[in-house]
Amino acid sequence: MRMRRLIGWRMAAGAALLGMGALVAGCGTSAAPTAKAPTQITVGTLYAGSGAFATSSLPEYQGLQFWAQQVNAKGGAFVKAYNKRIKVKIVAYNDQSSATTATTLYTQLITQNKVNLLVADFGSVLTSVAVPIAREHKTVLFDITGTGASFFTPNNKYIVLTSLPTSGVWPESLAGFLLHKGIKRVAILYLTNDFDQSQATTLASRLKAGGVTPVYDHGVPTSTSSYNVLIHAMAQSKPDAVIELGYPNNDIAFLQALASSGQHFNMVFTVFPGQLLSLLQKNVGAKGLAYTYTYPTPPLLAYNKVNYGLSLSQFTKAFQAQTHTGVNFLTIAGYNAGLVIQKTLDTAKSLRQSDLRQAVAGFSGKIFTLDGRFRINSEGAQVGETLPVGQLVPTTKGLQMVVVYPAKVKTGSSVYPAP
Amino acid sequence: MPRVWSGAAVLVVVLALCLVLPQLYANQFLFFDLMVYLALAQGVNILYGFTGYLPFGYVGFFGTGAYGMSLAVLKLHLPPVPAVLAGGVAAVVLGLVLAPLLRLSGAYFAIASLAASQAVYYVVANPSLTGVTRGPYGISLARVYHPSQSYLVMVGVLGLTLAAVLYLRRSRRGMVLQAIRDDPQSAAMAGVNVVRERVLAWLASALIAGLVGGVFAWQISVFYPATVFDLSTSIMAIVFTLFGGTGTLLGPVLGVTVLFGLYNVIGVSEPQYFQLIYGALIVLLVLFLPGGAASLLKRRGIDVL
Repeated sequence: MRMRRLIGWRMAAGAALLGMGALVAGCGTSAAPTAKAPTQITVGTLYAGSGAFATSSLPEYQGLQFWAQQVNAKGGAFVKAYNKRIKVKIVAYNDQSSATTATTLYTQLITQNKVNLLVADFGSVLTSVAVPIAREHKTVLFDITGTGASFFTPNNKYIVLTSLPTSGVWPESLAGFLLHKGIKRVAILYLTNDFDQSQATTLASRLKAGGVTPVYDHGVPTSTSSYNVLIHAMAQSKPDAVIELGYPNNDIAFLQALASSGQHFNMVFTVFPGQLLSLLQKNVGAKGLAYTYTYPTPPLLAYNKVNYGLSLSQFTKAFQAQTHTGVNFLTIAGYNAGLVIQKTLDTAKSLRQSDLRQAVAGFSGKIFTLDGRFRINSEGAQVGETLPVGQLVPTTKGLQMVVVYPAKVKTGSSVYPAP
Repeated sequence: MPRVWSGAAVLVVVLALCLVLPQLYANQFLFFDLMVYLALAQGVNILYGFTGYLPFGYVGFFGTGAYGMSLAVLKLHLPPVPAVLAGGVAAVVLGLVLAPLLRLSGAYFAIASLAASQAVYYVVANPSLTGVTRGPYGISLARVYHPSQSYLVMVGVLGLTLAAVLYLRRSRRGMVLQAIRDDPQSAAMAGVNVVRERVLAWLASALIAGLVGGVFAWQISVFYPATVFDLSTSIMAIVFTLFGGTGTLLGPVLGVTVLFGLYNVIGVSEPQYFQLIYGALIVLLVLFLPGGAASLLKRRGIDVL
């Protein structure tokens, strides 16, 4: 009996050891340390192949892949440190929208794959866990769309936000537009997450400074998918403008509910029609989006002073020819992150992370891509472009984006009140 | 070898491996995460394996521990280790508040615990509490971030957890709990204070999740409410426990090691097939090994610890 127990323990312990062995063996092998002239530049990143962030993460990843293919077609990225072109290889893992899995995989990219450059996955939740890891390993994190203000601090020099300003400053133009139009009754409905609430807080604060107190200011959980009751509750406060701040799925649910509610507001604003128009149009329809206001971003907004990388029209043509899929803001953001990396390699004196970061600071404010001016502050936060306000106006050719504010980028006048 | 020594040997081997493996393979967080699930699975094991209550909302204690630890650092300016203990205490307090849920059983308890964890999540993430919990803006513990120290503390928490389960496997209290699980009426008639014993097991389980959540918060240092109240944490801990076999020390260890290993192997090497392979594997295991992997050994007459 005693022997049997001993065998049992040994078998179980052996199985545990085997499992742990599999755990170690299955996680890839260590890459060799960067040699003097590497045969390839490795760019490590994560994507969400499933889960809540997949619809946003995959286009972004596709944009980055497109950049790598474009660069490799020319023989690789020019690396100043070696005065030659070197092929780029993307090493990517699927985090399935899980922040915990992402933590393991970011560490894997740094410690095992020893990637030369690290690129974050989409959004603040999946970027947040990369921030301390990158800092701990003194690796520059190229953050595409993680706009949480807490990521950017004076004592963290290992982060660069490539495509969007921090979310707290997004509504600056929107607040300006509302005040400029003299709209006094504003309802704000937002999700209680960092991305949306920081916008709601800024918006309410700017409006109050302009003498307008929102008649409705209410936060709901990020998982909210039913907006009927909320729309009727907002209608009770008789708003002239309804501002809904959510993620793509929330914007879709909100606009669908609004269309079926029988309610009509003079102005409706949502975030994602300006970034993922085809997705929104497929789910809400052109009628449901007509006269909706949003933050227009490329490709709905064209920056003409491009001095680095493809222009918007060139990108659209080449991307569609290569991938047979449509262009949206997130594919552009992924491509734009690639351009920032390309410029970094082009100007850094070595592949040391400190030199890479110094190189980014060196060309900050000097390059204009299809995503506008790239400029970061001392903390790595993007300050190059502010988001204007646009309105989707129905025409015989479909919905047309009209930039209505601020005056310096305006392409037309707003239709207010909406018919 | 007496069973107590066999159990102690298992404990020492597991902890030694947790200390040694990061020296062999530099992805320390991989092993940290492994330890998180080893401890959480044992926490689920204490509750489900010894009392029959399946806590689908177990992540509520984990998240509470993470926030308890973080607030102790940010508001009370405690050093990280006492703050981790504060996280454990916060989870125990939540356990006391939720103790009436034990009046339910089976699927009703599972659903109620799930709802309770979501309620806690929405309270923590509520914008009205931004001044206290930072609401939706999440937590940043950059000031105390120390992955090596938090790793060592996690080894300690795992050791305590394994020791607690070993105690239950060997003690009168463990047998009392199993008697309650099998037939509460008979146990009560035999003089067992059923309510007290269940509540104690519930609180012990909450304490473990709270401590683990506290160390997890310290380790990752920047997180949102959604990260630490993620329901998949509960589900994975439960699946690992059921796979290995409940009511034993080795079952959850086996379950976590094999399934978490596979999770990473498939997730890293074949991500496109991950959900298909993993899902199929779990379905097959439920169909053919409902008693968990440990039941394979038991069928051969081997007494699993």
